[in-house]
Amino acid sequence: MSELAGTNKAASPGGRAIAGPRGRHMTIGPLEYGRRFWLRCFVAATFLLLYAPIFTLIIFSFNDSRRNIVWRGFTFKYYEKAWNNDGLFEAFTNSLTIAVLTTIIATVLGAMVALLLWRYRFPGKPAYEGFMALPIVIPEICMGVAMLAFFSRIGWPSGMPWPLNLSAITIAHIAFTFPFVAIVVRARMAGFNRELEEASKDLGASEWQTFMNVIVPFMRPGLIAGALLAFTLSLDDFVITFFTAGPETVTFPVKVYSMVRFSVTPEVNAASTALIVITVLATIVAMRFQTPDKTEAT
Amino acid sequence: MDLYADNDELFAKLKEGNPGYDVIVPTNDYVERMLTANMLEPLDHSQIPNMANLDKPFQDAAFDPGRKHSVPYMWGTICVGWRKSKVDGTPDSWKVLYDDDKHAGKMSLLGDAQNVIGHALKYLGMSLNSKDPAEVKKAEELIIAQKKNIKVFADDNGQDLLASGEVDICQEWNGDILQVMEEDKDIGLVVPKEGGLLWQDCLCIPKGAPHPMNAHAFLNFILDGEVGAKIGEFINYATPNAAAKKHASKEYLSNTSIFPSDDIIAKCESAVYLGEDATRLYDEAWTRIQAA
Amino acid sequence: METWKQSKAVFWTLATPGTLWLAIFFVAPLAIIWGLSFAEKTSIVDTEITGTLSNYIRALGTPVYLKIIWKSIWISALATLMCLIIAFPIAFVVAFAPDKWKPILLMAVILPFWINLLIRTYALISVFRTRGFVNFGLEWLWDGANSILAFIGLGPAVLGAFEPLQMLYNNFAVIAGLVYVYMPFMVLPLYATIERLDKSFLEASLDLGASQARTFWSVVFPLTMPGIVSGIILVFIPCLGSFLTPDLLGGTNATMIGNVIERQFKAANDWPFGAALSFLLMYATFGALALRSLFAGRKSGMEV
Repeated sequence: MSELAGTNKAASPGGRAIAGPRGRHMTIGPLEYGRRFWLRCFVAATFLLLYAPIFTLIIFSFNDSRRNIVWRGFTFKYYEKAWNNDGLFEAFTNSLTIAVLTTIIATVLGAMVALLLWRYRFPGKPAYEGFMALPIVIPEICMGVAMLAFFSRIGWPSGMPWPLNLSAITIAHIAFTFPFVAIVVRARMAGFNRELEEASKDLGASEWQTFMNVIVPFMRPGLIAGALLAFTLSLDDFVITFFTAGPETVTFPVKVYSMVRFSVTPEVNAASTALIVITVLATIVAMRFQTPDKTEAT
Repeated sequence: MDLYADNDELFAKLKEGNPGYDVIVPTNDYVERMLTANMLEPLDHSQIPNMANLDKPFQDAAFDPGRKHSVPYMWGTICVGWRKSKVDGTPDSWKVLYDDDKHAGKMSLLGDAQNVIGHALKYLGMSLNSKDPAEVKKAEELIIAQKKNIKVFADDNGQDLLASGEVDICQEWNGDILQVMEEDKDIGLVVPKEGGLLWQDCLCIPKGAPHPMNAHAFLNFILDGEVGAKIGEFINYATPNAAAKKHASKEYLSNTSIFPSDDIIAKCESAVYLGEDATRLYDEAWTRIQAA
Repeated sequence: METWKQSKAVFWTLATPGTLWLAIFFVAPLAIIWGLSFAEKTSIVDTEITGTLSNYIRALGTPVYLKIIWKSIWISALATLMCLIIAFPIAFVVAFAPDKWKPILLMAVILPFWINLLIRTYALISVFRTRGFVNFGLEWLWDGANSILAFIGLGPAVLGAFEPLQMLYNNFAVIAGLVYVYMPFMVLPLYATIERLDKSFLEASLDLGASQARTFWSVVFPLTMPGIVSGIILVFIPCLGSFLTPDLLGGTNATMIGNVIERQFKAANDWPFGAALSFLLMYATFGALALRSLFAGRKSGMEV
């Protein structure tokens, strides 16, 4: 397959840096799948299903009842409660800190492993691949217990000041997320045309320059997808976190879990709604900043 | 201090050492289990003068003689919650849930081995704490036969199912039903005539607690009359605290769903830690029930 | 692909960090649990590694566990298939969207998954329950149809009273729930591979007169295979071990092997048996993965 692609412009859409003027695609009708009616309907229906529960959640966060069952009038009080709930804030900060750290380190580690598996033949490679798949294969609860046993047996210090007290959780999160990143990035790299890399080296670029200017731009969508996956996994993990966390390192899911047990769901709904709104705003802002860059590139 | 996990999760975590908890809230049979596992710190009663506030029956406990390791926090029962407009009469027997198809597909049982099997045993006239494999087998067969009529084994959310109309009868902790009763007058609560589980949540200090002084102070604070009354009225569970009863409202104290009458309590039974072999017996029966 | 000897420095730079991290912070903890699967309980808290196989024998020798494992496999397989069917068009649309829209659409797909799983599942319940929004919507349509029929003179309530659909607490709900939980694990790898599809292949295929369907099956599908395979792995395997979804959405027989394992570590307090069950699941998955790489190994000569 690579030979075929090689004769063609290998500049696929992700590789903006090398795509240059040749990478411009003819936007002709047949490929504009986004405009096909039936596809649009399908996507719209899927989004409806994805978001229906979220809208329910948002609506019920204004419900004047301790439960999410019947509408009993409009209120803001659960937002007030959530706002004044220091524990919730603390848990939220912890979760975000862990998720961001995890995403950065896991993406780097995962990308390195993906490159390794993509680029090299080496003895015992199938076994190594199996080794990398371990965290995906293991049931969460088993891994949670394993982490619990591990950190208590090696005597990992507890009661350290913030954010060092999050170290055990972050380490565990990185360990189980980076293989996910590796799989996604590797699937992306499977279509890379090695001749491009060789061409770059023939032209006198060093290994590092080739890496930064040829390989990384091609990897980017894989990196983004992998990073999003790592972030999602880390932010939402309950089981492994629960077993690695102490009383001072409560994360958002752990907090939510205990609040739901006490059935204070509207407050949790309110917090989740706020979280959605913040995420959406952050995305919009991030994209605003990216726009000028984009127009230049295309 | 504000982290809550269920008994099993807590037990699993403490098995590998205390990661920094000062106070934990296990249920009575877990107090016993944790004592067997040597996980609890003995209490220094001199630091908890408010223990004198406790009702007489709660001053001592069979599962923790002399209250050396635990103080009672709240107590209650497991009962039947039902929607009055959908059910004729009062479902005051476990028969309705365990051996009757009148409300097929509109019933839920709890979601753990101990309680579901335990109350089947109770219905069959045996002890909730039976360790006899033959008796547990009978309960298992009863539940498997009834399974087609049960909608779901609800893990702690039977009250939501009841309130949302998903089921008409459910087995639940009394306080959970009471919470939905506040908003929906069509819901009722009864402890069946065969009796149910009588439970008691306790406050304990785990071994290796980093701040035992504060922990004792907290226990003492919870046992304060006014505090106890406030907590009890908020979460709708019965307080074991005589001083708290003085501060509590009449409404709370006269609510028979919170404080069942003495003859009902007499029929109920407390769970006992049955030992590891019985735990396995129950778990295997429960697996077979769910797979059947 | 080159052999590692060609550029040892780069090879070791790439290999060391990930391998070490996984070895220390994952394999070492897991080794403790693996050891436990050959252990016996000696008291309520203590276990002793005696090299016994009794835990494995108990798991494989009791039909009920095999039955539950089998059930978990087909539920996970169905959920994975559903995920693939739904995720493919989504990934396709996102990958083929104008550059400006790509990040927005990608975010729109991922956003729901940043809401806590428990909260999301409860929200799902409120949409699908007997008195949930789907049934309210259907009832409204039903009543509308009834009154139209009455209006055109067919008499009142021809269709009868509305019977709410029972969508929760059965296997369907578990599968739907799993799809709702693991969707991004399918969308993201698919997106990453479809995005790199060389569109000139598609253009060529279409120009040469192939239909869209033919183009899809003969060009798009084979070229996105790596993404599909990694998506299937990322969805199927976590599904196998899931326990929260069957717990909350399943009916009385929804137990999956994940629930049994979870109970061994918690209520049943039987870590050795839980460890043995977990590792059985792992051995099976590794067997399947090994088979796949054997199968893929034969084909890879063509692909790379």
